Amino acid sequence: MIRFDNVTYVYPTGVKALNGVSVEIGRGELVALMGENGAGKTTFIKHLNGLLKPTNGKVYVDGKDTRTLSVAQLSRVVGIVFQNADDMFFLPTIEEEVAFSLRNLGFSEEVVQKRVDWALKFMELEEYRKRSPFLLSGGEKKRLALAIILAWNPQVIAMDEPTVGQDSAQKEKLKEMIKQLNLQGRTVIISTHDVEFVAELRSRVILMSKGRIVADGRAETILTDGELLSSCSILMPQVAATMSRLADLGFNAKVISVDEAVRNIVEVLRRFEHTRGA
Amino acid sequence: MSILEGLRFYASDTVIHRLDPRVKFLISMLMLIIVVMYVEVWMLTILIALQAIMAYAAKVVRRWLKTIRGSLPLAVLVFGLNAIFFISSGTYATLQEALYQSTALAYRLVLFLSSFSIFFLTTTPEEIGLTLTSWRVPYPYTFAFISAIRFTPIIAQELRDIMDAQRARGVELDKGGPLQRAKKLVPILVPLLANALRRAYELAEAMEVKCFGATKKRTSLRELKMRYKDYVVLSVSLALFSLAAYYRLFPF
Amino acid sequence: MEIVKIEGLTFTYSGSDTPAISDINLSIEEGEFVLLLGPSGCGKSTLCRCLNGLIPHFYAGKMEGRVIVAGMDVSKTPTYVLSQHVGMVFQNPENQLFSLTVENDVAFALENLGIPRDEIRRRVDFALKAVGIEDLRKRSPFELSGGQQQKVAIASVLALMPKLMVLDEPTSSLDPASAKSIIETILKIRKELGTSIIVAEHRVELLADKVDRVIVMQKGRIIKDGRPREIFVSEEMVPYGIPVPKVVSMAKGVNKYFQVFNEIPLSSEEFEQDIRRFVHDKVR
Repeated sequence: MIRFDNVTYVYPTGVKALNGVSVEIGRGELVALMGENGAGKTTFIKHLNGLLKPTNGKVYVDGKDTRTLSVAQLSRVVGIVFQNADDMFFLPTIEEEVAFSLRNLGFSEEVVQKRVDWALKFMELEEYRKRSPFLLSGGEKKRLALAIILAWNPQVIAMDEPTVGQDSAQKEKLKEMIKQLNLQGRTVIISTHDVEFVAELRSRVILMSKGRIVADGRAETILTDGELLSSCSILMPQVAATMSRLADLGFNAKVISVDEAVRNIVEVLRRFEHTRGA
Repeated sequence: MSILEGLRFYASDTVIHRLDPRVKFLISMLMLIIVVMYVEVWMLTILIALQAIMAYAAKVVRRWLKTIRGSLPLAVLVFGLNAIFFISSGTYATLQEALYQSTALAYRLVLFLSSFSIFFLTTTPEEIGLTLTSWRVPYPYTFAFISAIRFTPIIAQELRDIMDAQRARGVELDKGGPLQRAKKLVPILVPLLANALRRAYELAEAMEVKCFGATKKRTSLRELKMRYKDYVVLSVSLALFSLAAYYRLFPF
Repeated sequence: MEIVKIEGLTFTYSGSDTPAISDINLSIEEGEFVLLLGPSGCGKSTLCRCLNGLIPHFYAGKMEGRVIVAGMDVSKTPTYVLSQHVGMVFQNPENQLFSLTVENDVAFALENLGIPRDEIRRRVDFALKAVGIEDLRKRSPFELSGGQQQKVAIASVLALMPKLMVLDEPTSSLDPASAKSIIETILKIRKELGTSIIVAEHRVELLADKVDRVIVMQKGRIIKDGRPREIFVSEEMVPYGIPVPKVVSMAKGVNKYFQVFNEIPLSSEEFEQDIRRFVHDKVR
């Protein structure tokens, strides 16, 4: 679905934000793009809908070189939700905000109405449809931003730092929505440094540092690799950090969920009990 | 972007940087006056040589040359207009003389524009603020000046982010006639304004907490102080200026 | 001695019909380290703003009840006086810095108060050292990361030498590594200066075992106030969506099979110790 072929991107200021990035993301995958600030995550995301075009190398979306398409054309396939939802809003009501994008992309009025209804319902914003977007809470704004993008049903949804500034209840909701979008067959790419969030999503993780991809694998593999994470200034999720402290006693340090950790601890403790009994 | 880059001050620590900003301001002012007094190429060359030496001492030669280069298009224009005027009106006897005079005028314009470049290249906005304070400009104006410099690049970044966010929802900024394009500014300007208001509120809150305006007798961590070397530089500059002025009035 | 005493506080922002906080009664001892928890919009920020006079001096609205901080009635004391006793750090570091060098920002409030230059210099040195950013002194905020900027914001408040520091979600816009470093800075200040601290934060993993007390807010009211262990362990907090450190859930899970933890741990360190002790006893 998405293919980066040895992509390098240099900003006009001379900063090299991507440096020889090659990666493939398949249709229907759920991917977390991780790395500290300045690792190149946002630059990566902006290549997905052609806001940035590679200085060197190629980016393919659905088999097409992004250089040959406009941002508007690519946006129909890849919807990007940026970190600051406030950067979008300018209309008096939230339903108009959703309709605005659909009209931009050339949908007929009939379709526009249907899609607005659907997107607001899916994001649980129906009751506020006549409200000003400026009066929404932080979590609601984030959901509205997602509703705006979701409305035209892009195959790929990319979200830049969706969890920043969100409280635990909002994060929980966001996690469920991301999972559901993915279950519906959409490719979902989120950039984040929130390890606990990714540990709960259990997705594929692409780890970036200084414009390069330094690791690519399952969350449970990457988020338990202490050395790798600290080289990228990322903290281990607490479950893994706790278990790795006990690795010398025979506990499994490669777990990231509470349930697995409990199961493993109980199992190991039983073994100790057994040896004593024998 | 490049204009904003120009607003960024590159901190360094050279003899020129350490000079009192008021002395540097005065030197620039004196150079400007000499440029007004003289059209002679030899004097202008002395001035540009002096600037070059200062730029070298301050390690800002490259950026100084950039500002000079920036004034070239205007200089070419001045040269062209004068040449056309001089030749067509026959002000000077020979074509050579007309071209020489046009060159001198263009040269003078370059000097005119570059006279303050050393000042701006080697003085921090903070020092400019202190200079304003030492001239008894009320603090709120100085504060406004400093925060304008502080926040312009941040707002420029915000503008880029907003444009990206709107393009990602199908707004095609560079398509359509002038009227349509103007209409497309609304989705850019409204969020920019809303964000600016939000930021202004947060800033005001932080200023309140940091006791802004608590007393009329505000003190300052740094204060401009003329040192021995500042006086030396100042008197040398004034002496050279007097010499130049004297020579203009009573050539030897 | 109490540093904060709040009696029957209700505040409604002008233009709103419902109070942002209602019927708050609270007293905080000098030297206490308090974590303020609750979902966004629960009134944490409003409560923080009542402590240094932004409410009612900066925000208009209807205020009932009394707020006494460091012995002063907040509604009768100007903000600049309160600010010398209550240091306030906000969420977004970018909008708390006004100057073009770090040291000028740290000096900013002191200059506004008209404090003599020698004293300013002493306090700037002290604040930069306390936060551990002496090496950033001459840098410009443009060149700093969000975490470094927030440290400058903390130093600029610390230069006023407040008895109480109030931090309203100081890490919410930062990445985890910077957030950790900010929390460590707060701990350092508390340890070295004994400052009373109230911090509103979502990152409980980093703070649960460090604070003396946790106050939980919901819809403008305080619904729970107690020691961290009792708050995080109590089952009745679950429906309120209060974030709980993962080690708490792990320990509770293990305790269903083996009575390893007499006291539920709040940090990885505590968890590790209890497991090791248990294994040691078992094997022997």
